[in-house]
Amino acid sequence: MIRFENVTKVYDQTARPALDDVSLEIDRGEFAFLVGASGSGKSTFLRLVLKEDRASSGAVYVAGQNVAKISSWRVPRLRRGIGVVFQDFRLLPQKSVFANVAFAMQVIGKSRSVIRDTVPEVLKTVGLEGKENRLPHELSGGEQQRVAIARAVVNRPGILLADEPTGNLDPTTSMGIMGVLDKINQNGTTVVMATHDDDIVNEMRKRVVELKNGIVIRDEARALYTSMIPVVGQSRRLRDASGRDEAQPPAPGEPNPDSGEEQR
Amino acid sequence: MRLAFILGEIGSGLRRNITMVVSVILVTFVSLTFVGAAGMLQLQINQMKGYWYDKVQVAIFLCSDGSTAAGCATGPVTPEQQDNLQTLLESPAVAQYVNDFQYESKDEAYKHFKDQFSNSPIVDSVTPDQLPSSFRINMKDPEKYQIISETFSSQPGVETVIDQRQLLERLFSAMNAASLVAVSIAGVMIVCAILLIATTIRLSAFSRRRETGIMRLVGASKIVIQLPFILEGVIAAVIGAALASGTLWAVAHFFLGEYLSKQYPDTAFISPGQTLILAPALLILGGSLAGISSLLTLRRYLKV
Repeated sequence: MIRFENVTKVYDQTARPALDDVSLEIDRGEFAFLVGASGSGKSTFLRLVLKEDRASSGAVYVAGQNVAKISSWRVPRLRRGIGVVFQDFRLLPQKSVFANVAFAMQVIGKSRSVIRDTVPEVLKTVGLEGKENRLPHELSGGEQQRVAIARAVVNRPGILLADEPTGNLDPTTSMGIMGVLDKINQNGTTVVMATHDDDIVNEMRKRVVELKNGIVIRDEARALYTSMIPVVGQSRRLRDASGRDEAQPPAPGEPNPDSGEEQR
Repeated sequence: MRLAFILGEIGSGLRRNITMVVSVILVTFVSLTFVGAAGMLQLQINQMKGYWYDKVQVAIFLCSDGSTAAGCATGPVTPEQQDNLQTLLESPAVAQYVNDFQYESKDEAYKHFKDQFSNSPIVDSVTPDQLPSSFRINMKDPEKYQIISETFSSQPGVETVIDQRQLLERLFSAMNAASLVAVSIAGVMIVCAILLIATTIRLSAFSRRRETGIMRLVGASKIVIQLPFILEGVIAAVIGAALASGTLWAVAHFFLGEYLSKQYPDTAFISPGQTLILAPALLILGGSLAGISSLLTLRRYLKV
């Protein structure tokens, strides 16, 4: 469903690449966690899938299509096949729960009757039945994130990208959200979730892809947040990369790659 | 559905940005009024040309008492001199340029003068003796005036040769200058309007960046995202253009139609209906200016 072939992304020629020669494949229907410190390249990975950015080299395939070859007027079609959920929910504050979810269908021209049928169904999937007419500020954080998830999946995308969806939520609420994501995954949607939440990763026991300084340092099925394998399989290239990193402290403005863990 | 959605977006955009929208309306209104005023002056010039050029004549004024021109050394025109002139007018060398001509005696000149200035007190102080007699010539081609002038100016008994067209040309060039001034003011105002529309659209896009961000993520097409903003600018500008058209019509109706045409009953003023020819041009001009400037602004400030 998502395939990266030797993808490198350089934002700034003088700094190290955000993603460095990443090759990775996520299959249809898979649930994958993307872990790693801030600045390790998780967000860049998601942006490349959405064609928000263009890879500096290498190829990104989404649903079998090389995204570099999608013309700009077809990008909306690509994005219709991908739902996105963020840490900060990004709901429209003046619209009700129903209207927030319906908005995603209105803007791509779905008919009123389809919207009337689909939205309550999706709200039920995320566990929000009976709250259609609430405004976002009348909901708890967890409920708001459920609305955001409902909006992301209401057009039945094949892929759901979640960028730290539990970052603002307490552990119990987070588990509830994970239940929703798991349910969506069970229905056949590929889910890629970038996270710092070790409890969740350890609980779910799904595939874990760990990034460090733009390099994939671990890709394990049914794994934990931290590796159980001692670091012996680390490639020479990675050691070189970390060595370079120590010699050259991160550029100002760029978050310290190691601080992410401590902030949690 | 999509149409209803886009209309709703436009409505909310206009409401949120009402002060800016009003200023866009006013600026386009003023600038297009100047454009329209220039257009009206041109229409008026054409109207007067059409009206007068059929009527204008070359007038050969004959000597009368007190004439000081070189040809009048012998005093007032004598009947022989007058006959000579008439023969010359009928000679083939001149006749080929002339459609027809009439002799206007002092009494006839007085009568015409009285008709023309019937409203003015000057009529009472003028006597037939003070007005020169003349030959009135209708030219085949008014541009050939020079030939008549050269032939007759030096003839004895001729005081002066006047091309009435040249008097009109002076008036028309003054009106042309006025319409140029109007066009230059309009140019400055239009630049103003374009910048204001760009700023308004930029503000509007900024205040709705949340919505547009979501629209982008769920795969709304470029048209659905941008159209509400563009139409917002276009609608404001078209309202301004409609106000400008209304103003021009009112000027033609109340100022030209009711006031000036009573003061100058002989002058052919344009009718209010004629200014409506300008309205579609103003609407299209306003709409396309707004459309283009919003499109360019969005390209910079609204990533799709």
